[in-house]
Amino acid sequence: MNFDARKYVIMAFMLLVGGIYSIRLFYMQVVDDTWTLRAQEIAEKRKEITPPRGVIFDRNGKKIVSNRTYYNLMMVEADIKNLDTVAFAKLIGWTREEVRNRFYEIRKGEGTYKNPHTGKTTSNYQKIRKYPFIKELTLEEISRIAPHLENFPGFYEEVTSMRNYPFSNGANILGYLSEVTREEIEQDRFYKPGNNIGRSGIERYYEKELRGVKGIKYVVTSALNNAIESYADGKYDTTARQADPLRLGMDMLIQAYGERLMQNKKGCIVAIEPATGEILAMVSAPSFDPNLLVGKRNISLNYPKLATDKNMPLFPRPLQAEYPPGSIFKLVQSLIGMQEGVIDENSGFPCDKSVVGCHNHPMASNIQAAVQYSCNPYYYAVMRRIIQQNVKKNMFADAEFGLNKWYDYMLSFGLGKSLEADVSGQRPGVIPNSAYYDKWYGHHRWAFSTIRSISIGQGEVKLTPLQMANIAAIIANKGWFYTPHFVKSIGRNGPHPQYKVKHYTKVESKYFPPVIEGMRRVVNEAGGTARMARIDSMIVCGKTGTVQNPHGKDHSVFIAFAPIHKPKIAIAVFVENSGFGGTWAAPIASLMIEKYLRRKIKDKEKEKRILEAKLSNIESSDDEENQNQAD
Amino acid sequence: MLMLIFGIATVYSVAFNPEHPNIFDFEEKYGKQILWLCVSLFLGLLVFLIDSDIYRKFAFPIYLFVLSLLVLVLFMPPINGARAWIGVGSMGIQPAEFGKIAVSLLLAKYISELSVKQQTIGNVVGAAMILLVPMVLILLQPDAGSFVVFTSFLFVMYREGLTFDPIILAIINSFPGVKMKYTWVGSHFIPILFVAVFLSVITLLLSSVEIDFFFLPFKVSGAMGVIVTLILFAIVALLIIRQFGTKRDRSRGTLIIVLGLILGGGLSFGVGAGFNSLAPHQKVRIELFLGLKEDPNGEDYNRNRAMAAVGSGGLTGKGYNKASVSSVESNHVPESETDFIFCPFAEEWGFLGTIVLIFMYMFMLIRIIVIAERQRAAFNRIYAYCVAMILFYHFAINIGMNIGFAPVIGIPLPFFSYGGSSMMSFSMMMFILLKLDSQRKDVLR
Repeated sequence: MNFDARKYVIMAFMLLVGGIYSIRLFYMQVVDDTWTLRAQEIAEKRKEITPPRGVIFDRNGKKIVSNRTYYNLMMVEADIKNLDTVAFAKLIGWTREEVRNRFYEIRKGEGTYKNPHTGKTTSNYQKIRKYPFIKELTLEEISRIAPHLENFPGFYEEVTSMRNYPFSNGANILGYLSEVTREEIEQDRFYKPGNNIGRSGIERYYEKELRGVKGIKYVVTSALNNAIESYADGKYDTTARQADPLRLGMDMLIQAYGERLMQNKKGCIVAIEPATGEILAMVSAPSFDPNLLVGKRNISLNYPKLATDKNMPLFPRPLQAEYPPGSIFKLVQSLIGMQEGVIDENSGFPCDKSVVGCHNHPMASNIQAAVQYSCNPYYYAVMRRIIQQNVKKNMFADAEFGLNKWYDYMLSFGLGKSLEADVSGQRPGVIPNSAYYDKWYGHHRWAFSTIRSISIGQGEVKLTPLQMANIAAIIANKGWFYTPHFVKSIGRNGPHPQYKVKHYTKVESKYFPPVIEGMRRVVNEAGGTARMARIDSMIVCGKTGTVQNPHGKDHSVFIAFAPIHKPKIAIAVFVENSGFGGTWAAPIASLMIEKYLRRKIKDKEKEKRILEAKLSNIESSDDEENQNQAD
Repeated sequence: MLMLIFGIATVYSVAFNPEHPNIFDFEEKYGKQILWLCVSLFLGLLVFLIDSDIYRKFAFPIYLFVLSLLVLVLFMPPINGARAWIGVGSMGIQPAEFGKIAVSLLLAKYISELSVKQQTIGNVVGAAMILLVPMVLILLQPDAGSFVVFTSFLFVMYREGLTFDPIILAIINSFPGVKMKYTWVGSHFIPILFVAVFLSVITLLLSSVEIDFFFLPFKVSGAMGVIVTLILFAIVALLIIRQFGTKRDRSRGTLIIVLGLILGGGLSFGVGAGFNSLAPHQKVRIELFLGLKEDPNGEDYNRNRAMAAVGSGGLTGKGYNKASVSSVESNHVPESETDFIFCPFAEEWGFLGTIVLIFMYMFMLIRIIVIAERQRAAFNRIYAYCVAMILFYHFAINIGMNIGFAPVIGIPLPFFSYGGSSMMSFSMMMFILLKLDSQRKDVLR
């Protein structure tokens, strides 16, 4: 039998295999690019270099937020040999269980990779890659551990940069950083796991300005994840660039001074430069050292304590606490009344205590006196005229019309809506309009007599301390304001454009002088309610407020600006549960003004009295506090 | 002719060296490889000096010697879990590599000396025994790769008519009333079996993969992909036959192709469907065997990375010494200088490089068969077929596992992979063939 033909079978078989392989190779190498992508994933690592975050200066060029070097203890599991868990745990000051749990945590935390070709899922964790075992060690800690690391192969140190606050002030305004969440990574490709993001305050609002530009270095890596060489000779590499520094309008001197004055008290201080809208100081008391919330370790250690503290140090009161403004509201009422023409400078109303309680003072026969004496019945009368202008025959319809008109004035003063300063987390406060009362009482079921407590800044009206300070700034400017803001300049650029727009109120500047005169008298004339705010040879204009508080002692509030001509500072001080506005808030405001304008305090007695005062038992719980937050 | 084969061998060796393009440092692997090449060439020279008749005469002693080495190696300390190496100084040799030559020689001698009436059960069993003894010894090491390579000799037996047909006939004829002279399936049993195994393995490997044929508007998976490919081949083959075949060839060829297509497609479909209907634990076992599933040895990891390396080569490759995934330093692909040598080559030279490589292998294999067919002596022819089939197996399995078509079993790519034993054994194999060929006119048998 001749088997020669079988050579063709064999040859055909060979050619078949060769042919199939050629097609397969053509498909794999030329047509299908998933393998190329997979190869890039494996070998070409985009090494991202996160630059140190932008630093922040105060208005005088003092560095108030900077960066500091920390150390991570890294591990490569494949390099770990005969780990003496007991000795290692002892070295890093952990228990054996903690060490073991940490290993488990790292392995699990890496997630999985799904192969698009086979649909199989494998863990991303690789024994040959490096992972941080302990993050954010200080120099002291690492220098204690590092010398012994040679006994523990597979562990080594690595350097990282973190926030540092040379001043321990402004914590709840500056905000803090924390690690990005999964959602944030999905939303913004800038972030990679382990990166930090501004979590609150200025850090959050200016996240994009502060984070800088990441450097990208393409390297070819080995299976051990070591860079072997730079890719394409670094042609596509970019260098990391630290963000331009932010310069705040804040004056760290008075910020720190304000926090000192507010020690052992609850409340806040907001100071604004009226001509620019720059925020000079924003004190929230009680506060905390911002360095407590630097880094994952500190956050996990300190955050729960701060968050459960009954005095709520994390709560940024100047932005989020909504208080009834009390008598300081009378300034705005006077202005609106004059602009509406329902009163003029020389309108007088009797102090009829049967309508609303008042203290003993001579009758206010003009605006100046009304402001000076802070006469409650006077402002009931003013508000009645604003609300009930007898434009409509129906009393209820008339009240609705009047209230909405009043509401529009309020909006123009930046009240009843968020001011939109450059800091995250601001509350709008409450200014009721007709819709608000309709909801409460029903349509045309209310009139002035129903809502009259808002006349004197009680009742439904609520303002944030920032808005209160802005009222002082508006009066200082005689009718306009720049939206209060922190950042004066970003690198060589000025503030964001929205902070260069002048906002005019609906009250013409000609109506302001009588109110300002009243405010002058409040501080400087006998019978004024804030004599304690007086500063030698400087005219401070202010207005006290004493906010009735159903839960406890009255809140003390004071807004002021100084000097009377070309005002340099407008300020609002709110001291919770302390009594009359003139007793506590006014002297604190005057000290702040004096410190800012003169850099030193003449009246040491006044300062001493404030510093030593322990107004609220800040150890105990406080209902008012809780209520404010609930609002 | 001599120079041609020699040239091809050299080209492959040179193509290897660029993967490690440093100086001739004998401490390094490329240096050693050059050393091995020199040793191989020296051995080749030695082979050339010896009269070709010696190989035939001493085939049995050589076989016994290698067998004894294979037994000896079982008492050696294991390296990488297998007792495959016999240490000679700092270097080791793998007896299994030389076992291929020994078996080739003895098989050639045995079959060539058989009487004309070849197709007896005794003869088939005799030839099979020559294979089985070293195969069993190799399996004991264990060395699955070499074991599989030894099955290539079945093709040689097939070519020489020593098929399992007598056995199958005996089974069939044992049924009362059946009296057949030969069965088509029986006589072509081996290639059919291998095509079937090949198709099944590919089908299984691709069972969970979506293939995007550029001419089809939808993606197909596994078995369907294989079937589509088969149809393509069938069309091409039909066109070729129409163009070049005689009328008789045409009708017969068409029949074979259509039949093959139907059977192949059916098999592929059946295997795909059968696999999917298996119980999960059975699936896992098969997947483990094929290296599809992640296992403690991380074979899926290797395959995945090897394929990434090959696939990232693109049309023209990343350029010489620019491999990023499979370079030895990066170590993403393990064994990138031995079993996965194809990776760096494919990554650096791209599709143009790989197609040239495949073409060269094809050319070499066909060339060896042409050489085989021009021999006057049956011994020479059979030996040449052994060489061709061994090289083909290495080629098919090695490249196959680099492109996801074969399970990951460690066998080297001839003349390419680093390793002294394989280098020497392939060289000797070729030189013996060349020697036999050069003396073919002297032999009258």
